[in-house]
Amino acid sequence: MPRYDAIVIGARCAGASTGMLLARQGYRVLVVDRSSFPSDVISTHFLWPHGTSYLNRWSLLDQVLAVTPAHTEVTFVNDGIPLTGSVPDDLLRAYFRDWHGDDSGVVRSYASIRRHVLDQILVEAASKAGAEVRTNFAVRELIIEGDQVVGVRGRDSDGQLVEERARIVIGADGRNSFVARSLGLPKFDERPRCTFAYWSYYSGFDLGPAQLHRRGRLACAVAPTNHDQNMVLVWGPSEWSREFRRDVPGNLQRALDFVSPDLGEVVRTQGVRAERIYGTLDQSAFLRPLAGPGWVLVGDAESAKDQCTAIGMTHAFRGAELVADALGRWLSGDVSLNEAMASYEGRRRSQNAAAYYDYVCTLAEMRPYRHDELQLFVALRGNQQEIDRFVATHADVAPVSEFFQASNLLLLNDAAKETSAGYPVFEDFPATARMYQQNLFA
Amino acid sequence: MSLPELDQRDDDELIETILAAAGRRDLVAMAVAAAEVSEMTRNWATHIPWDEFGSLDESTLGEVVADLTQMWEPVDLQVDADEEYALDKNAYDFYRPAGRNLMTRTEEFYGWVEARRRTETWQYSRTLEAAPSSVAQITNDIGRRTRGINFNSQDYLSFNTHPAIREAATKAMRDYGPHSAGSPMVLGNTRISDELEASLGELVRADQVTLFPTGWAAGFGAMAGLVRQEDHVLIDRLAHSCLQQGARATTRNVVRYEHLNVDAVRRHLVDIRRRDSRNGILVVTDGLFSVDADWPDLVTLQRVCREHDATLLVDVAHDLGSMGPGGTGVLGMQHVLGDIDIVMGAFSKTFCSNGGFVASASPALKQYLKMFGGSHMFSNALSPVQTAVVLEASKIIRSAEGDFLRSRLHTAVTALREELTGYGLTCMGEPSPIVPLLIGNEKLARIANRLLFDRGVLAFMVEFPVTPTGSSRFRLQVQANHEPDEARAAAKIIADAIADARTYLSSAFGSTER
Ligand SMILES: Cc1cc2nc3c(=O)[nH]c(=O)nc-3n(C[C@H](O)[C@H](O)[C@H](O)COP(=O)(O)OP(=O)(O)OC[C@H]3O[C@@H](n4cnc5c(N)ncnc54)[C@H](O)[C@@H]3O)c2cc1C
Ligand SMILES: Cc1ncc(COP(=O)(O)O)c(C=O)c1O
Repeated sequence: MPRYDAIVIGARCAGASTGMLLARQGYRVLVVDRSSFPSDVISTHFLWPHGTSYLNRWSLLDQVLAVTPAHTEVTFVNDGIPLTGSVPDDLLRAYFRDWHGDDSGVVRSYASIRRHVLDQILVEAASKAGAEVRTNFAVRELIIEGDQVVGVRGRDSDGQLVEERARIVIGADGRNSFVARSLGLPKFDERPRCTFAYWSYYSGFDLGPAQLHRRGRLACAVAPTNHDQNMVLVWGPSEWSREFRRDVPGNLQRALDFVSPDLGEVVRTQGVRAERIYGTLDQSAFLRPLAGPGWVLVGDAESAKDQCTAIGMTHAFRGAELVADALGRWLSGDVSLNEAMASYEGRRRSQNAAAYYDYVCTLAEMRPYRHDELQLFVALRGNQQEIDRFVATHADVAPVSEFFQASNLLLLNDAAKETSAGYPVFEDFPATARMYQQNLFA
Repeated sequence: MSLPELDQRDDDELIETILAAAGRRDLVAMAVAAAEVSEMTRNWATHIPWDEFGSLDESTLGEVVADLTQMWEPVDLQVDADEEYALDKNAYDFYRPAGRNLMTRTEEFYGWVEARRRTETWQYSRTLEAAPSSVAQITNDIGRRTRGINFNSQDYLSFNTHPAIREAATKAMRDYGPHSAGSPMVLGNTRISDELEASLGELVRADQVTLFPTGWAAGFGAMAGLVRQEDHVLIDRLAHSCLQQGARATTRNVVRYEHLNVDAVRRHLVDIRRRDSRNGILVVTDGLFSVDADWPDLVTLQRVCREHDATLLVDVAHDLGSMGPGGTGVLGMQHVLGDIDIVMGAFSKTFCSNGGFVASASPALKQYLKMFGGSHMFSNALSPVQTAVVLEASKIIRSAEGDFLRSRLHTAVTALREELTGYGLTCMGEPSPIVPLLIGNEKLARIANRLLFDRGVLAFMVEFPVTPTGSSRFRLQVQANHEPDEARAAAKIIADAIADARTYLSSAFGSTER
């Protein structure tokens, strides 16, 4: 009998949560991470309401909200067409019933939580739940017997080589997963087109709830976060990144000014930047196989997507509940490992998952909004229930298929209260569309 | 950290420096720059040995350079632009075109259709080379021919090749000629039209029957005839297009309720009645849903409607004749024959002809719909041949032969569903002449559809706007003429085509719904 039921590699959104949930079920869990905590990892760390609801279900939200601002309303401005909404309670409840069989702990607020804050809370929670957590522990090798992964070899914080064994090894080790690399796992559904994203942290202004702006092929967002700062982010098509990088601070401001002159002005005149500017374009989307003999992947390790809908952490939480639930049923002897993994796979590779994956990957190409899309945004104005459903769909709370359905789109159209008259983007649409194709940073 | 965060160089600059140093094999400079890389990036790019740059051997250096370059450089894509465009878009992307010239602004959509056609992923507008039976020979819309086991025709009891049906058509042709020569309100009907109304009335146990030139016209006409601006329509989210359009055309007070959810209907009715005690409410649903193969609980639905003084309309286009005791469809299966307020149907699935009808127990409603339904009065009547065919079909449907054909149909359906499920695929809904085989992702469905074309099975792929986005499927329509072995052989071919499409796209998404 190995010493542990499960070894989790990676101790952030996916790993610490999975370790915590398994430990709470009474299993012997080892969680390791090569990082020390508290520490940051690349992310703009926005949690949609189902993300915060997971934290609440796990009794961790109070701790987070003690130091993090939260709101329920969010404003999208697409080519000057504003829509303000929030994710409705009934859709959140339906989400949790559908994915996890119960709707306890639902909250409607979102929050932008620095990873050095959030991941620390998660690591402590795992430890408090009874998992053994070793940080500064880099896994160097998987122990494989026959075709079965049976444990890990790694270097602990003192530089000692150690070996640990478990009934299952859980790769929660992120996009560049060590587990996936050492097993030589292929990638599926690769979508190389993605965004470049640059962001930093600013004090000096308080704009209230989060704002997301889109114009042409560029976008920007501002969300209040910890330490009385704002996370200010710009993104665009990765094809434009070379030119963007020639002058990162200058182009960040230029992008803000182009996408939302108001926000650009606030940042320029009131913003005080507190850290360097971070950025990446390493965001192409893919899926990996989910599980095999003695191993299973969760979080970014099994599927990474572009940041443009800010969903990776919430999906990592969702994966943690799914995989901990499936593994719990196996470890308790209720089902075989194959059955447990088939149920996990069924959910993670479902039609709805595919539809949302496509939604994100298509958005990540950052093509200018089409005429019909913009007209849909106009049609939504004043139709609060449908705006809210759109927000819920964008955040993967409600299935894409329920919003983007013929009878719904036609009905939205019929119910329109506004016309396109007040929005300059429609004035000479072809000319605007051509202008949008020009690389702003060239 | 030595420097305050703000004054450190951006990771971009550092990675550029590292790559340049790597080019010069300057490991020391690489290590110096790496020490400055943010914690964010180090914890993210865990595959890069940031702390070991000083001691890299030549092969690890190569890997590091490759990995960093991949993180750092945007991808250069070599793609088939046509195929990408064809696969990427959905019809709704073209629903609101830009421009004030109604004609030229259709060009953009046309460009997409052309890309779909060039890549042979356009599933529409195929043509038949001969009468479709369990096997058919067809040509696709770019002129390529194929032959295969046919799940692409809606002729559930295989009446199109039935001698008695053909004979009825021939006789009507001799007696009346091909043309009805007028609206049914003028002089478009013949004696057999009355006979047909009576026969349909007996089948659905609602004797006040009105004929329409198509099923679409019947659904749309019933709603246009009845519903006024201040009335309300409660409609199943997935009800047929003719009903959705009918709802849109008649009132702005339209609520689309969750598919099949009678509780939701009750809640909406309570809500509407709380606000409005004066106007009418029409509740609208399909019987057998045409791309989902399921049906509502009509017993409860009709009761709930009565409790709130709402009227129920059920579209039995697909189930009438093809299912249920004596061909009475979902109504007969649920023992609500004669109990539903308004029944409408189409002849185009089982009755071997164009045409539709609306039936109820009310002579007043009948006369009202004839006058105000629009598509009855202001459209030419069913042709005599059509009328005769439908009449003959309705007789066979109610006979022992009808029972025999339905049992054959059911055997083929069961064989097909079992075999497909055996391949790990998802057949939606309940056993019925419609077997919806879920695929989901449009790209996958379009490629599977292309592959299937040459492999001996004819199947129609449905996607938006017929289904919601992300839930495309093959809609397999089974006939009484299908042999169970044909169905099983077809299942294998379909399963292989889907598997090959998945490989072609290198996709790991499976076939479970949620
Ligand atoms: C620019 C950008 C912005 C984003 N913004 C958002 C957002 O706003 N909202 C959102 O929800 N998501 C966002 N995401 C996505 C989100 O950050 C990720 O989905 C999330 O971090 C995944 O969590 P994880 O636990 O799976 O992996 P990670 O957070 O990457 O954690 C993996 C852990 O595994 C450890 N590890 C790796 N290898 C080993 C090893 N060999 N031994 C020991 N430990 C190891 C690492 O040290 C790391 O701590 C963004 C992503 C990007 C790129
Ligand atoms: C449920 C339903 N109602 C109505 C119709 C319209 O019938 P027709 O093709 O006869 O116009 C159809 C067929 O497309 C249908 O599936």
